[in-house]
Amino acid sequence: MIATLQHSGVSSTPRWNDFGHANELLTLAPGQIAGLSGIPGSGLTRIGLSLLAPYALRGPLVYIDVRGWASPMAAWEMGIEPERFVVVRSNDIVSWGRIVATLLDGVRGVYAEVPTGLRDQVLYRLAALARTKRTPLVLRPVSGKLPSGVAYLNLEAREVLWEGTEAGHGSLTNRRTCLVASGRATRGMVRTIEVEDDGTNDLRVVPHLGARTTGPDMGRIRAG
Amino acid sequence: MLSRSAEAVCPTITTITQDLAAEMVRFEPVVRTIETLIPRVEVQEPGTVYIPISGAVEYYGGEEVLCERIVKELDPFGGDRRIGLAAGPFAAYQAVRQTTRFQPLHIVADDAAFIADLDVASLGSDDLAEAFRWLGITTLGAVAELPRDAVISRFGRAGLEAHRRARGIDRVTTPREIPGDLAIASHFDPPIEDFEQAAFVARNLAQRLVGNLTSYGVAPHRVIITATAADGTEQSRTWRSADPFSEHTLAERVRWQLRSWIDGVSAGIRGGLETLRLEPVDLSGSGRQMALEEDAKGFEETQRVFMEVQAIAGQDNLLVANPQGGRDPKERMSWTRWGEEERSPERDTHAPWPGQIPSPAPALVPPELVPFEITWVGGIPEQVRLRSRWVPVLSWAGPWRRVGRWWDGEGVSDRYQIVTSAGAYLCEVREGRTYLMGVYD
Repeated sequence: MIATLQHSGVSSTPRWNDFGHANELLTLAPGQIAGLSGIPGSGLTRIGLSLLAPYALRGPLVYIDVRGWASPMAAWEMGIEPERFVVVRSNDIVSWGRIVATLLDGVRGVYAEVPTGLRDQVLYRLAALARTKRTPLVLRPVSGKLPSGVAYLNLEAREVLWEGTEAGHGSLTNRRTCLVASGRATRGMVRTIEVEDDGTNDLRVVPHLGARTTGPDMGRIRAG
Repeated sequence: MLSRSAEAVCPTITTITQDLAAEMVRFEPVVRTIETLIPRVEVQEPGTVYIPISGAVEYYGGEEVLCERIVKELDPFGGDRRIGLAAGPFAAYQAVRQTTRFQPLHIVADDAAFIADLDVASLGSDDLAEAFRWLGITTLGAVAELPRDAVISRFGRAGLEAHRRARGIDRVTTPREIPGDLAIASHFDPPIEDFEQAAFVARNLAQRLVGNLTSYGVAPHRVIITATAADGTEQSRTWRSADPFSEHTLAERVRWQLRSWIDGVSAGIRGGLETLRLEPVDLSGSGRQMALEEDAKGFEETQRVFMEVQAIAGQDNLLVANPQGGRDPKERMSWTRWGEEERSPERDTHAPWPGQIPSPAPALVPPELVPFEITWVGGIPEQVRLRSRWVPVLSWAGPWRRVGRWWDGEGVSDRYQIVTSAGAYLCEVREGRTYLMGVYD
């Protein structure tokens, strides 16, 4: 069964004063860009969709599917209504940029897989356009990472831990993904966070399990 | 039936795409013939017209005489001609649906009694009909007996519309004061001679008309399309719709009508199209209801953007999916091109589907099964090949056996959820080979 889920509203720029606000890291304000990197299977699609899910209350979200593998069932499980989730299939580098630019002009949120071989310049232009149009944008390179300075929040998957399966018994239930967050959202510092996903609800940052890996105030961080 | 299913049953079948504009060209002479008997014929779609007959019945001396006269006039066109006669358009439409080839005339004496006996399926909404049936309500008479407030509370606007129809009230017109002349016209100098150009203008006009009416909170159910040719001749046709016209549906009707005037029996639009006018004549408050946080401007903007993207990426690449029943993730999605009517699900969503892969769903599902390399030791998965490296399997769930339709040649397969340190995967083992069905991304 597909559950219709509650989402926290779209808030303003996320703050990160302490780990009590860690959940706000998984919020994307209008015009902000998130970059996701990691191999398929690391849970980044669901994380990207959860960043955009609150915007589906106001209008359709678009998933630009470069690989042709997008499954809307994951979006439905995140509480996005089927008619609010539109998939554009395009693996053509030339038209990809035009499609994203057009969509940024009129939809509430865009999740775009970035094709391999795309020039960095195109991404910088699209990022500027997303900021101007105040449309949240999630970029997921099919391979590699985004060039620096494009995304407000960079999330890189490090490790995935699944629960629920055991030597043939049970089925997948919970997932904990260890992510390295960086960018302006983390004030330029690199942080490690853990995100819990039970498949049928909003993602949640596991409290007190993250740790700042670098930064000027390392000594004042609560134990992870 | 989908063309794919039809081809499976009959491989030599020829698929012919429906061209409603061409059908309207063929239907236009029929409408003109009826108009020689009774003016103000309203077209619903190529093949169906509504004829207001209150005045004509007196003139021709009775309902049956009038119907016989219509049938006689339409004789030269051949084919199947059926007439349903009732006090309201909904009852008339349902009456004509009950006619047969051998009994082509159905005169309804009492609309209320006739409607009360109709099945809930006649409301035209599968979801609504299914919900009513589940509640033990099978006829429109039973729907009409439900308290109006309860119906609105449970089924919203669709329920209200159904309740009205069940009570024999076709629609509520002009719900509040609206400025008199809402017609929209465009004048062309020089006159338009190209059909495609005229169709483009029609779309623009329809957009303006519906947009203007939306700002008053109303929507048109009937629209008079009038075209004036450069030589001064004027042609006019009324189109009717049970549901209010949207920009898209109205633009389509105008395009069909223009094509029927240009390609049909009339002498075309001589000298080109000089003026095109759309006049709404039957308004109701049942315009599109926006969601709480949605705004009309944003909706229009999104439609425009999607049309542009469709032009860049191609019609087949802008898609919306809807849930449907099935065991595997791929089966549980029914894809429709954006802007097209949602397909009815091939498989029942509410059926139990034993052996269905449990939630959460994989976020990535390959369009075709992809070979997936796994090493098995004594029936236990040990390692998975991801690109160039082998990764150990940490845990797994399954096998979940799927027994296909053996009478159709479908074999047996086992599905597994495989967990590695790099992620989790859904795979299928069939005839000794392993395939990737989904990635839990």
